[in-house]
Amino acid sequence: MSGTVAAPRASASSAYLLVPILLFFVLLIVAVLRSPHLITSAGIGSAVIVAAPLVLATFALMAIAIAGRGSVDLSVGPLIGFINVVLVQLFGADVISAPLEFFATAIGLGLAYQLVMGLIIVFIRVQPIIVSLSGYLALSGINLVIMQRPGGTAPDWMLPWGAGTSIWSPVLALLVIATGAWLLFARTAFFGHLRLMGSDERAAYTAGVHIGIVRIGAHLIAGVYAALAAIAYTALISSGDPTQGTTYTLISVTALVLGGTSLAGGRGGAIGSLLGALNIYLITYVLATFSFGDVQSFVTDLAYGTILVCSLLLTVALPRLQSTLRHVSPLLFFILLFIVAFGVILHATYDYGVPSGAAQAVAPATFLFEDAAPRAAAAMPMLAHPVALATVLLVALLAVLRWAIAQARTRSLSPLVYLVVGAAAVLAVYLLARPAQSDVMAPAVTQGVK
Amino acid sequence: MRTLPLLRWIGLGVALLIAAISFGLGLWQNLPAQQAMFYAAATFAAVAWGWHHYAVRPGEHAAASGGEPSGPRGEVWRRYRAAIIAGGLIIAAFLIASAAMDGFFTWLNIIACLVLVALIFLSVGLSGLIVANRSAFIGLIVLGGLFLLGALKVDGFASGANLKSMLVFASFLGLACVGQTLVALLGGLDLSIPFVIGSANVGLLYIIGLGVPPVIAIILILLLGALVGLINGILSFRLQGQALILTLGIGFAVSGGTQILTSIGSKFAGNVFGQVPDWLKNLAAMNGNTFGLNVPPVILIWGAVAILMILGMKNTVYGRYLYALGGNRTSAARLSISERRYWIGVYTISGAVSALTGALLLGWSGGGFIGVGQPYLFMTLAAVVIGGTSLLGGNGGYGFTVIGVLVLQVLTSFLVGIGLTYEWQQFIFGLLILPMVALYARSPHIRTQI
Repeated sequence: MSGTVAAPRASASSAYLLVPILLFFVLLIVAVLRSPHLITSAGIGSAVIVAAPLVLATFALMAIAIAGRGSVDLSVGPLIGFINVVLVQLFGADVISAPLEFFATAIGLGLAYQLVMGLIIVFIRVQPIIVSLSGYLALSGINLVIMQRPGGTAPDWMLPWGAGTSIWSPVLALLVIATGAWLLFARTAFFGHLRLMGSDERAAYTAGVHIGIVRIGAHLIAGVYAALAAIAYTALISSGDPTQGTTYTLISVTALVLGGTSLAGGRGGAIGSLLGALNIYLITYVLATFSFGDVQSFVTDLAYGTILVCSLLLTVALPRLQSTLRHVSPLLFFILLFIVAFGVILHATYDYGVPSGAAQAVAPATFLFEDAAPRAAAAMPMLAHPVALATVLLVALLAVLRWAIAQARTRSLSPLVYLVVGAAAVLAVYLLARPAQSDVMAPAVTQGVK
Repeated sequence: MRTLPLLRWIGLGVALLIAAISFGLGLWQNLPAQQAMFYAAATFAAVAWGWHHYAVRPGEHAAASGGEPSGPRGEVWRRYRAAIIAGGLIIAAFLIASAAMDGFFTWLNIIACLVLVALIFLSVGLSGLIVANRSAFIGLIVLGGLFLLGALKVDGFASGANLKSMLVFASFLGLACVGQTLVALLGGLDLSIPFVIGSANVGLLYIIGLGVPPVIAIILILLLGALVGLINGILSFRLQGQALILTLGIGFAVSGGTQILTSIGSKFAGNVFGQVPDWLKNLAAMNGNTFGLNVPPVILIWGAVAILMILGMKNTVYGRYLYALGGNRTSAARLSISERRYWIGVYTISGAVSALTGALLLGWSGGGFIGVGQPYLFMTLAAVVIGGTSLLGGNGGYGFTVIGVLVLQVLTSFLVGIGLTYEWQQFIFGLLILPMVALYARSPHIRTQI
């Protein structure tokens, strides 16, 4: 049966998603507790604008990292900078102005650069890391030749893109289309060849995969994503900046690793990279809510480095945890954590923001953890209690269902036992919670309606 | 079989004819001469390629199956085709430049061009005869050629003062490359070097500022550097494929942590003030002297380290075992060489030597600056690669890296001498790495690895 064979393998390969998912929700909860402003239309909007170039750059890196041979495209940052300054300079010289021309130029440049890189790697057979290092040096030099210092302007139609006052911005559409395109791409046979080549190039070659074509294809895809990242970046800063290369390379490599992509090749996914890039954004966001003053950027460096190292070390420990984690599917994990995070978000938004009025709305980020705890306890009965209760119920239900399904294949009576025990647990929680629920529900509902 | 050369000559004639016609047409239409030349050349190339592809190649197949041995001319062409093509390109570029620019066609430029072409033929021709240490050989030729070019084109290039300044800068780069070379011999990479250099630079000044005697402060800094290297080695041992990114993370954390530590209680975060002792300044300054000799001690330090490294790698058990491990892990394990000990050992050495470089750079600049190591981020990698140490491990040595460092330094000096700015230097470095590596470090085709 194909189902029995595919299920364990699917969970094994996506167990690497557990770390980014966990990190994402922990960071999200901390971020929301520190500053509920994040969960507003403007907050999410600006998050999308700021995170979009990083997400797209991570996708570009991922395409090449999956192709194996230890290829990390160090030149992705300078490439984004290159396309950015070329677009801005061409616009300044009135060569291009329409959106279509912008996209065509950017994608053309990205494709051309990555085509050259791919051809060199395939035909001259120099190690990919050296080729990308060479591209890094060459591009960061030529960027400064094209534009000496940050400057220039983006066209008028692009200005609202970078405003970030609402969730619904063209950049979000760009991001959704790019992610969707990757998910579609991941279903093609070409992607299968790419992964096979990444995990074992010799096996792929003997299996008749045209490894040269596949590698060049991976580079071309990376070129398209780098071009989209450059457009999102241009929208973000509304000008040209030739000096951002190093930073973007380092941050997007960090995001790639945080997202669970293997730098050894063969493993990587859009969801993981998306989460990895969002994690980087959230780390910066959370650190920005603590005001460290002058040492802010140093703390950010320290945090990047530490988190990067820790998440790398976790990937070493993961295979050992696999045997215990086999029944935890990432989707279930995601849903559970999402419910918890949703409860916290509701709690932070309504219980802090509304009752005590304007004082807290003005300065939501002033409280620290120490005095947040008693206030949270005081505000608990308002809305958080029913939400927490519902969370526990859902968690129990989902866990029981999941285990029941996992056990159903063994054709024993154990699913029944789980069901009965689960039902008993649900019933017990319900009975325990009923008196509290009946007198808390009414004010909570009116609170929610307000 | 006699028809084949005939076919080829006819094709050449047809292509020339068409190109000439197009050139004449271009002139007749009053196009600028350069443009007409360009179009004519493009037409010629297209026609010749088409002829070769459709008429000559099928014939060649027939000839090859006929088993006719190729004549001496074919032999020469086969061996020198890269050199002939490259030399032709340089001469063509020279001719175009002389046609396009006034005052370009001078004796010095002609000689420089001829030197370049001779260099290429010499390196390609002789490298065929030399099998072992080919990279060192090519590196030396390039070094000599560059020096000759510099002496021809730049006033005072070969003067004592310029040589001294080149050697001082080369010493810093060379010391920073010690760790990278050792690590590369085991197939790893250490990107924490620039961050350790910067941290040691700032940290040493801070510790001296606290009132610790400078000698003890330097020893302390070296120990701290070794500690960072030790952490690098221990953590990356299980993650050897991802050592690049792991050391990068550690580097981020170290540089952030150092800056936070040195900023505590300081009004100017990120800036450390202090008095650098005179003997440390003398160690690295351009006008420093060693025991009365008018040579900066840092050059002698580098020379001593280089001799120690080269002899040590060749003649000690430690050095030989390092090569054994880099060459083949399995067979080294059969000799009961502890991979873990050596892996951690080279990273520790790398950390300590990087800290030493940072301390010497403090003497050179006289003030602490965390970004002092940034240029070394990819420069160490470039020097190691240009020298010919394989990043896959087991091949190369510090002697090669010294050549790589000198090539980079002479090239920098030359480019500065002819008035190119930093960004152009970086661009040319990027473009230079590829052909240098392609000359001697091409990986074999996949079909030979099965």
